[in-house]
Amino acid sequence: MKNRIFGIETEYGLLIKADQSNVSPSGVARHIIQHLFGNKKQGIIDWHYRGHDEPPGNGGFLLNAGRMYVDMGHLEYASPECHSLWDLLAVDRAGDLLLQDCLDELELSDKVSIIKNNIDHETDATFGCHENYLVSREFPFNYQGLGLLMPFLVTRQVFTGAGRIGMARTADGWVGLDDIEGGRGNHSGTSAEEPVIYQISQRPDYIVNDFFEWVQHNRAIVNTRDEPLADPERFRRLHLLMGDSNMAEEATLLKMGTTGLVLQLIEDGHAPTGLDFDDPVQTLRGISRDQKREWMVTLSSGKHLSALDIQEEFWEAASKHYAGQDEETDWVLVHWESVVKDLRKGYQAVVGRVDWASKLWLLENFREAEKLEWDDSWLKSLDLEYHNVDLQAGLYHGMAEEGDAPRFTTNELVNLSKHTPPRNTRAFGRSEVIKHVVKEGWADFLEKTAKHQDPRNPPYVINWSVLQLQGSPPFVMSDPFRTYVQESLHYCTESQSLKPEVEPL
Amino acid sequence: MEHAMKFVQLIGSLDRKERPVDPISKPSGPGDDSGPKRPETDSPSRDNLMKRMKKVDPKQAEKYRQRTGE
Repeated sequence: MKNRIFGIETEYGLLIKADQSNVSPSGVARHIIQHLFGNKKQGIIDWHYRGHDEPPGNGGFLLNAGRMYVDMGHLEYASPECHSLWDLLAVDRAGDLLLQDCLDELELSDKVSIIKNNIDHETDATFGCHENYLVSREFPFNYQGLGLLMPFLVTRQVFTGAGRIGMARTADGWVGLDDIEGGRGNHSGTSAEEPVIYQISQRPDYIVNDFFEWVQHNRAIVNTRDEPLADPERFRRLHLLMGDSNMAEEATLLKMGTTGLVLQLIEDGHAPTGLDFDDPVQTLRGISRDQKREWMVTLSSGKHLSALDIQEEFWEAASKHYAGQDEETDWVLVHWESVVKDLRKGYQAVVGRVDWASKLWLLENFREAEKLEWDDSWLKSLDLEYHNVDLQAGLYHGMAEEGDAPRFTTNELVNLSKHTPPRNTRAFGRSEVIKHVVKEGWADFLEKTAKHQDPRNPPYVINWSVLQLQGSPPFVMSDPFRTYVQESLHYCTESQSLKPEVEPL
Repeated sequence: MEHAMKFVQLIGSLDRKERPVDPISKPSGPGDDSGPKRPETDSPSRDNLMKRMKKVDPKQAEKYRQRTGE
């Protein structure tokens, strides 16, 4: 898509199925990282401190130029930079499969499931699926510019939401005495709030601000951290953490594609105006929790509209200005219009394309067949199982297998993307160096001498915009749109003679 | 598969443009030409989906306790 680089960061949940006290989510996460980099050589592990919470060995960059690591106890996969939505979809799915492969090979599949969702029903924990959009430094990164993005972000959940049973009790961490006695989680509303049996999105319960720069506490609709991971004079990275992890391929493409187009509308001065909310956070939450799924909102002007009306306004503007821009833009415009129109017919019309609708469809049918009440724990368990990345077990994957969810990539491409980078961004150059390090046996050397490695003097440092092999100068890749193909090959050739000799201990 | 082969060929090529070119793959599958697809039945009970659902441990949600992330 024009002038855009996309990326997705996914924090996964680990479900320990067996009642075994010696198996913990964080222990399994570290076992997987060790297997992925140590045994499978799917990338190169970090040998330096990336931060106080990322010690050496915590994770590393993959052959596909993405990154896999442990963050706050969660396995996290950051996709490589993608210029194409189709590449993004393939590398996003590749992350799921890389982890599931490890689980299978470690013979842990019967004890552990990898869940690609954003909440647990028991403790009200949340974890994210962050979106990254590269914009130019000239992008109006202020209240005026980002304010135009707000009504789009607040209402896009009608097709990007992953759905969940119930709600989180509070977003501010307050636990009352009654809650302690009765246990947390499993809430369908309090006396002060409308009961919430099922809501369309998982993250709104945890979003408490409109604009803010932190990522864990005080989560905002728009994260304002200025960390471009590229030339700061030319680029800025819009980092969104209010979205859900998507299983449906169409939802993934639409989430990233429509947001990319709305950013373009803002850049070009074509974004719709007059759609502001007095309280975007409450509006976000209200839409998600609306049990009638009418999604009516009141604008600051006093005008009443539905979330679908607002999405249509954005679609009309994008269609007017960008139809015919390129093949991906046209795909997004066609499917954006279609999903909004179909949502007006009822959720059944978008089953397979929109995650919350697919999950609701499965739960409604199962509930009816088994004569279950909505508070039955079996339904919450099915809610989780929808997000199981195991192709043989996950309910979304069961729908795809049955032909109930359209595919927009192939298994062959996803498998290829596990170890192959996008070919038209700087991910290519980074991957060349990573492959060089693996091929030349640096990883083997490090494995054998691990106990003697000094993290203050690592043999290499790999990062998003710069990397360095010991003895060579830093290799800067400040433009994510460039492939650095010639420079990376030259860098590998020059550094060949610098490889540490393997000396078995 | 055709896309995958094209992808491999392109990856192997060193004659690479330094600016964005065509994407690796384009949409394939039922959603490509025929527009969005919806399930043919009103209920998933006809197929293996119901079997998958019945296999799920009814209590697994109670075991799913995660740390809060970002």
